[in-house]
Amino acid sequence: MKKIQGNSVSSGVAIGKAKIIRKRDLYIERRKIHKDEVKVELSRFKKDVKFVSNELDKLIQDFSYSQENRDILESHKMILQDPEFDKKVSKLITKDLNSLEHAVSSYFSEAVEVFNSMNDMYLSHRVNDLEDVSYRLLSHILGVKKDVLEDIEENSILIMENITPSFVTKVFKKNIHGLCTERGSKNSHSSIIARSMNLPMLVNTMGLMGNIKDGGDIIVDGNNGYLIIDPTKKILEKYKTIYSKEQNVRTKLLKLIDVEPVTIDGKIIKLMSNIEIPQEIDQVVKFHSAGIGLFRTEFLFIDFEDLPSEEEQYEIYKSIAEQSNPNSVVIRTIDVGGDKLSRILNIASEDNPNLGCRGIRISLKNIPIFKQQIRAILRANMQGNIKIMFPMISGVNEIIECKKIIKTCSEELSKAGIPYNSEIELGAMIEIPSAAVISDSIAEVCDFLSIGTNDLIQYTLAVDRNNQAISDYYKPTHPAVLKLIKLTVDNAHQLGKKVAVCGEMASENKYIKLLLALGVDELSVSPGRLLAIKKEIINCDISKIKPKLDKILACKTSEEVDKLIK
Amino acid sequence: MIRKKIKIVNKLGMHARPATLIVKTATKFRSEFKIIKSDMEINGKSIMGVMTLAAEFGSELELVADGVDEKFLIKEITELFAAKFGED
Repeated sequence: MKKIQGNSVSSGVAIGKAKIIRKRDLYIERRKIHKDEVKVELSRFKKDVKFVSNELDKLIQDFSYSQENRDILESHKMILQDPEFDKKVSKLITKDLNSLEHAVSSYFSEAVEVFNSMNDMYLSHRVNDLEDVSYRLLSHILGVKKDVLEDIEENSILIMENITPSFVTKVFKKNIHGLCTERGSKNSHSSIIARSMNLPMLVNTMGLMGNIKDGGDIIVDGNNGYLIIDPTKKILEKYKTIYSKEQNVRTKLLKLIDVEPVTIDGKIIKLMSNIEIPQEIDQVVKFHSAGIGLFRTEFLFIDFEDLPSEEEQYEIYKSIAEQSNPNSVVIRTIDVGGDKLSRILNIASEDNPNLGCRGIRISLKNIPIFKQQIRAILRANMQGNIKIMFPMISGVNEIIECKKIIKTCSEELSKAGIPYNSEIELGAMIEIPSAAVISDSIAEVCDFLSIGTNDLIQYTLAVDRNNQAISDYYKPTHPAVLKLIKLTVDNAHQLGKKVAVCGEMASENKYIKLLLALGVDELSVSPGRLLAIKKEIINCDISKIKPKLDKILACKTSEEVDKLIK
Repeated sequence: MIRKKIKIVNKLGMHARPATLIVKTATKFRSEFKIIKSDMEINGKSIMGVMTLAAEFGSELELVADGVDEKFLIKEITELFAAKFGED
């Protein structure tokens, strides 16, 4: 038995047979050739490159692919036709007497290394392209078939070096039990999709590919972040028990799909979903979520080389609004740190990006980009089920600025004769303590408020939640945080406005009762957590916790609070 | 041989789309074409080379063309830079 540590992307246990997919990692024999073979290898090289280029040409001319996809394929073709590629591979064959496959794979591994070493986010994204081209050419040279999913059995756990988002979606349809990758990060798109699908998955599992046998018994322990290879009988039994318990819970939760999220004492809670990428909408619809409480639009801006055009944004927003109709979709305007967009926006590097140009500040300092997003939203709002939410609001001025821009955009659209709908609710994220403190004034100029607990905690307690060294200072139930939430809710209710919580606190079972007792009206959670949180809501009797609320709010430490809410 | 210094004025710096355009344009001509950035010299007809330049907004490059049609090559490449590769 062997246990390797990885980072858990989504919780849950999966038991099955290892299915290794070496998509990008064909087996290349480091074969040397005889001098007599040089000519043959060189002519194979020319022929194979030509064949694969032609194959790419056919794809490039296939208009069922998006323009973006075709541009990517075009750049792949250029990589194959690069004179340096030709020169270097030919030299590896002629001088170093490497076989064709050896030469091609050496060339690409070296290029990948160079790209990785340049520490440039854009180039490291391009590594995927290099690997794609390399795979395409090598699999042709070696005569490998491509559809790896054909012979996958249902109880498999996929073992891969890395995984693309479209592959996760495909895998899910195949009823795979779990996933484990050697590389990857918790916040990649693939991970987000696995999480919203509740598929047990580990990433960044060190030494994975070298330690595993195809078809061997393995266990993914997503609860503790372990992969167990060749488990002993005892361990296997232990995990089977955990697994069947989890399955039981899951089956019971699935029965809640059509149950309304109403507390025992009769308060209806609006339970919505947070989504980051459009693909997640499938889960939102499947679990009958009451709409989307937070659609993060960052993926549009971070992943692409160019900024998304108004048209591209419009298409995406429209499609999400249509799929959610009649439920509402809260679109949050771009919310990233300037560091992530420095390439595009030409923002100087900052000593303290968390307190720097991020969230609404980026939008207000780059009006043309902000206007593009607003126009796209207004145009997509033809059914009237979209709401706009602004991130990183520190005071009233920002909202007033935003409103002016919405007005300008409406006027511009009218003038241009483009259909739009400016009947749209506006909300502010409450995540900076100043905004919570003056939430009465903020609520006056907004239609709703949404508390982003992650940042509210981070800024209130001055603790970076990703800094392991001080993670014990990150306390969701710190009395200061609770007081700010209470203040925000009370202020909004005074004006008859609703308050949602869309931070991670709303996704954790143990905090639900507390949030509801504090008076929160709406919760927005990741689609994978919808049913578990719904269960928490329907088992909650707010009238029973309310009397304890004064005591909770009077606590001096988060430990005291935690004891009371247990 | 012609040498010409040039500044990158498009916001994205020298990334895929600009790189593709440079290579496509340069490849039309017969002259040899190099791009130099500080101590790095790459073949301007190689997409991999141009991409590894990863030149940022505001940085300076030197274009070097050598051959019968060097004048035209430099002219078209300069125009690409001036037009910011059709961005903005």
